[in-house]
Amino acid sequence: MVLGGGIAGIQTSLDLAEMGIQVHLVETLPCIGGKMAQLDKTFPTNDCAI
Amino acid sequence: MTYSHLEEVSGEVGAFQLKVRKKARYVNEDLCTGCGACVEKCPTTVEDAFNVGLGERKAIYKYFPQGIPSTHCIDAENCRQLGQGKKCGICAKVCQAGAVDYEQQDQFVDLEVGAIVLATGYDVFDPSVIPEYGYGRIDNVVTAIEFERLLSASGPTHGHLDRPSELALRVEIAALDKDLKKFNRQIDKLEEKHGKKTAEFVKEFKAGQAGEDGDFERWASLAEKAAVAEEKLAPLNKKEAAAHTAKKLAFIQCVGSRDFRFNRFCSSYCCMHSVKEAMIAHEHDNETTSSIFCMDLRAVGRGFEEYKLRGGKSANIQYIRGRVAEITEDEAHNPIVWYESTTTRTVEHETFDMVVLATACVPSAGTPKLAELMGLDLDENGFFKTDSLIPLDTSRPGIFVCGCAQGPMDIPESVAQASSAAARAAEVVFTAPKAASGGGK
Repeated sequence: MVLGGGIAGIQTSLDLAEMGIQVHLVETLPCIGGKMAQLDKTFPTNDCAI
Repeated sequence: MTYSHLEEVSGEVGAFQLKVRKKARYVNEDLCTGCGACVEKCPTTVEDAFNVGLGERKAIYKYFPQGIPSTHCIDAENCRQLGQGKKCGICAKVCQAGAVDYEQQDQFVDLEVGAIVLATGYDVFDPSVIPEYGYGRIDNVVTAIEFERLLSASGPTHGHLDRPSELALRVEIAALDKDLKKFNRQIDKLEEKHGKKTAEFVKEFKAGQAGEDGDFERWASLAEKAAVAEEKLAPLNKKEAAAHTAKKLAFIQCVGSRDFRFNRFCSSYCCMHSVKEAMIAHEHDNETTSSIFCMDLRAVGRGFEEYKLRGGKSANIQYIRGRVAEITEDEAHNPIVWYESTTTRTVEHETFDMVVLATACVPSAGTPKLAELMGLDLDENGFFKTDSLIPLDTSRPGIFVCGCAQGPMDIPESVAQASSAAARAAEVVFTAPKAASGGGK
């Protein structure tokens, strides 16, 4: 089980799923994304965060 | 599983038994198409947590537009039907998919897993406990995450760098306007009924020549209320007309971190996000200038130093070495920053349009409770405790931690840790006897 659906939780879940392991991702809020979804752009490339 | 909480944990590495509470959304996820018709009609408006209180949302809502799963959810506490026991049911009526279900209950899901990865993230430090920075008292002092929402095209200002004082002013004007329109509608009706203009009536009423009628008291009081509202509106409208977007910005580093009163640690990513926010603000409007007040600007990471220098050269950023002592406010709601410039060794002050506080990264509010539930140790700063040579393992075998749940770190580092945590968890799952029989992770 992965607890927390922010960028770290999503990345862990995707990696585990790619290894063929069944993953349960548990998130408190109604949507995954976490803090990173609130950001506009990311450093140092100024790429869009979403 | 979104909108869910972990309630119970038992077992050990290779075979943990968990109980997860899946909170009722009051919207059937399989039926909801995410069209948003319910949001348009919902009569209840509440503060929007995603926009850190800068915007508003309805009681039935999607957490953010691009959110996954793309399904809505009712905030039961603020819903007229569910929380306040009033008759409403509008969302159920307008939902063409028939997805709204007021009877939905919380569900409990039992899981059996081999390993657990904690990626519970962090919270933003609340700077209102530092009175000298005036956060909460001075409108145009905002936190970095609030500034991030103001810059965002999908944020409350659609990417215009409007100052919070002006946003508040607009709300005030809109409320007064609404009242004034209401008074004027009622006055119009009275004027029509009695065939008299209000100005004429008021003159007669004051002179006691208006005569007797049930309506007259109300008419006079309405006329007075309308006059008061108009009087209040005039200066506000004038201020609004003179308003401009924020063009002169100050960024204050280490707010709540590297400060012995609050957190001693460095939050690591704030230096860079301030540079980034100043650069993006400059991209929005190339007249924008920014001053970053810091003890030292920590640009540790690939390409970070070059990024910092690029900001200074091409985005009108000035780096000022000095700790800010106090922020005050002038009559036009402009924050004034008082600081000691360590290069000139003098106390100076400067007026800005907006001040952005680079707030510390602190353990998320649920961390102590979760640590107790799982029997984990925390470090001296309140993050999950790990060893520097095995940085992903918590104090309990089979439970791993990655990202800001372990300590402040930036996005690339979080992603790298996440992949490492996945590898550590996979190790457990592939070697545990349960996993071989397809028990999953």
